[in-house]
Amino acid sequence: MVERIADPAVTIITGASGWLGRALVHRLLPERSDGRLRLLARTTAEAHELAALGDVDVVIGDIAKPDTAQRLLHGTGPAADVIHAAGIIHPGTTRQFFEINTNGTRNIAEAALDHGVRRLVHVSSNSPFGTNPQPSDTFRANEPYNPYLGYGRSKMHGEIAVFDAIGRGLDATIVRPPWFYGPFQPPRQTTFFRLVRSGKFPVVGDGEQRRSMVYVDNLVDGIIAAEMTPAARGNGYWIADERAYTVNEIVATVGRALTDEGFTVKPPSTRLPAIAGRVAEFGDRIVQSLGRYQQQLHVLGEMNHTIACDIAASRADLGYEPRVALYEGMRTSIRWCVAQGLTL
Amino acid sequence: MNATATTPGTVAMDAEVLIVGSGAGGATTAAVLAGAGFDVLIVEEGEWVEQGSVVPFSLEQMDRQYRAGGVTVALGLPSIAYTEGRCAGGGTEINSGLYRRPPDDVLQRWAANFRIADLDHDEVHSIANEVEQALSVSTVPGPPSAPSDVLRRGADGLGWQNSEIPRWMKYDHHDPAKGQRQSMTRTYLPQAVAAGARLVTGCRIDALEMGNGTARRATTTLADGRRGIITFRHVFVCGGAIQSPALLQRSRIPGHIGRSLAVHPTVKLAARFTDELNVPDDVPVHQVREFAPDLSFGGSASQPGLVALALSDQWATFGRSIVDWRRISVYYAAITSEGRGRVRAVRGLRDPIVTYGLTGRDRALLGSGLARLALLMLEAGADEVYPSFRGAPLVRKRADLAAMRSAFSVARASVMTVHLCSTVPMGEDTTKCGADSFGRVHGTANVWVNDASLLPTAPGVNPQGTVMALSIRNARRFASTEHSRG
Repeated sequence: MVERIADPAVTIITGASGWLGRALVHRLLPERSDGRLRLLARTTAEAHELAALGDVDVVIGDIAKPDTAQRLLHGTGPAADVIHAAGIIHPGTTRQFFEINTNGTRNIAEAALDHGVRRLVHVSSNSPFGTNPQPSDTFRANEPYNPYLGYGRSKMHGEIAVFDAIGRGLDATIVRPPWFYGPFQPPRQTTFFRLVRSGKFPVVGDGEQRRSMVYVDNLVDGIIAAEMTPAARGNGYWIADERAYTVNEIVATVGRALTDEGFTVKPPSTRLPAIAGRVAEFGDRIVQSLGRYQQQLHVLGEMNHTIACDIAASRADLGYEPRVALYEGMRTSIRWCVAQGLTL
Repeated sequence: MNATATTPGTVAMDAEVLIVGSGAGGATTAAVLAGAGFDVLIVEEGEWVEQGSVVPFSLEQMDRQYRAGGVTVALGLPSIAYTEGRCAGGGTEINSGLYRRPPDDVLQRWAANFRIADLDHDEVHSIANEVEQALSVSTVPGPPSAPSDVLRRGADGLGWQNSEIPRWMKYDHHDPAKGQRQSMTRTYLPQAVAAGARLVTGCRIDALEMGNGTARRATTTLADGRRGIITFRHVFVCGGAIQSPALLQRSRIPGHIGRSLAVHPTVKLAARFTDELNVPDDVPVHQVREFAPDLSFGGSASQPGLVALALSDQWATFGRSIVDWRRISVYYAAITSEGRGRVRAVRGLRDPIVTYGLTGRDRALLGSGLARLALLMLEAGADEVYPSFRGAPLVRKRADLAAMRSAFSVARASVMTVHLCSTVPMGEDTTKCGADSFGRVHGTANVWVNDASLLPTAPGVNPQGTVMALSIRNARRFASTEHSRG
């Protein structure tokens, strides 16, 4: 049995308006009725939306600015936990990667160290570790850094900033989710369902490359486990579904979930040769080297690779158990989109 | 033990069974056949070097016991350096001595994919038991050496599976550092000679003279340059995965010969620790098998000259650390390769041309392997890690691994290999096998291959145990078939 500690008096969440942030708030608001949630929003509009969810404190600010983190943590101490879920994955320029993912993380880690909070949970990514060298390879809990382009480098330097603060006394744990899916997704994610429905999801190569994914509620479970497990201090953990899926399996399962939710789904028809993935990856490198970012190129370039991670250490150390697998998670996700009035 | 070797006095020799080569394949074949009453002549190109007369892993050993002084290269991009033993006992005299049983899943895959008849797992394991007795396969009594403990400590810290690999060593229990290598010159060769086999060293077989699929005699060149002739009824070619196919090709034997060389390519790094740890005349016995069989890590010989060699790819910045060689040890990352090589005998050249091509997947795996190995070194407490490739950055902390990985390319690395095999694969599928299920070369009546050439693919583990088990199996089958013929 993994030793867990009690809820903190204050739970601070950055990126609260984002996909993961909303899922966290949704879960923690009823669970932490004895404690307060303090949320970071970027704009007054976001602040109003968050305040409408319930009895929460909202701070408005830009995580890339050091004073924001200091204001956010003002007056807190060992009775507070910080969940740092703010990050940017599809920016306009590569500079934003570093402003938000690296500098923002350093700001929050330094503020957490200054205030002596109980624990910081930093939400990182698979991207600092790049891609697996072959489809059967799986990332273990400890791997060498091999960042994938600008996002990967910015998230790696974010991790390094956290480890640096840990070396100076901060209590922090890093969680690393791969590609996540589920309710609270931004509208851009509906493209994914539309491509599968129309049979045009671009399967690169033979489609046998594997991808770890994580249902957003599984990820919330993992983050809370990392927050509440004292022995997790100073470590990084993969938080993913039980196993990695092949791209073919992902497309087929999502197609089945859409069909079972009453959508008509065309059979997959878009197969791209592996070279298309390499060309896209090359294009992505060129565009990013010019300081710009193009989402389609990036996603297509990465689709060529296996990104698979092993959750054994997360199970053993955190007691993390993924409760939802791909089919069930996708059905819930589709229903959520429909309930939001999104067109799939 | 020199008494077992007779210098060639006569230029013409004959035997019922000629065995070409005296390594893991030839020595065991000789012991089985001489023991079964055959008149056996073993011919070895190299010399008999008494154990202890040269320092293990030294330059003198390379000169006396390795082919071409240890400098042989498979051409390709990149070229891959490899080593072959050329002495009585062959590779068993000079390798790391690590013993692995043939893995069951590998045997099963071989039998299915190459159509090997009667590859019985129980029989193979029973032979492996005998081999383990004969070679005193055992673990180190007492704690591992400091360079070996680095592998254990680093892997344990990362949660990676690792273990001590037993060796064919007799240990002095009062001084575990002093092991007596149970190579072929200590075991199967004396056993063969005691059963009546003759061993001739310093004699190279140039070609087999063939007629109607039958080899009639062998033409030879002696160490002093004289030519000779050996007549025989049967010939076993056991020269290793490079020399065996080359001899068959020089003898104009057609078929799938030399076309599918398989190796375990390796890349290296040197790691410097706070305390002295270098053990110049021995290699670490721990292996990290967390990512096996695709990727495995172990320790390399770390004589000062070999430490310098490991630093030499980036000598401008790493070279000055050589003064600290006592604090440095060398480690490797090995992969199972999806690439393939070729061995081609060329008229007028003494040694064949060897080529090897790595695949994109091989390259990615070598890069990932070197980075994971460097991470293990940091976990084990290394102060500095020196990856062996041109343009490599010095690695002192985890953040440096990103720079190392992005600077790495296989073309800049010193890729080398020791496990050469699969140039005359065994099995009934003649589209990809050079020899039948028991080593007889397809299309011949009396030419057998019985060495690492027969392994259908690289086995993913140190191969000597597999080579010995299969060669004993094949030699026994030959003996029983011949006896039943009367």
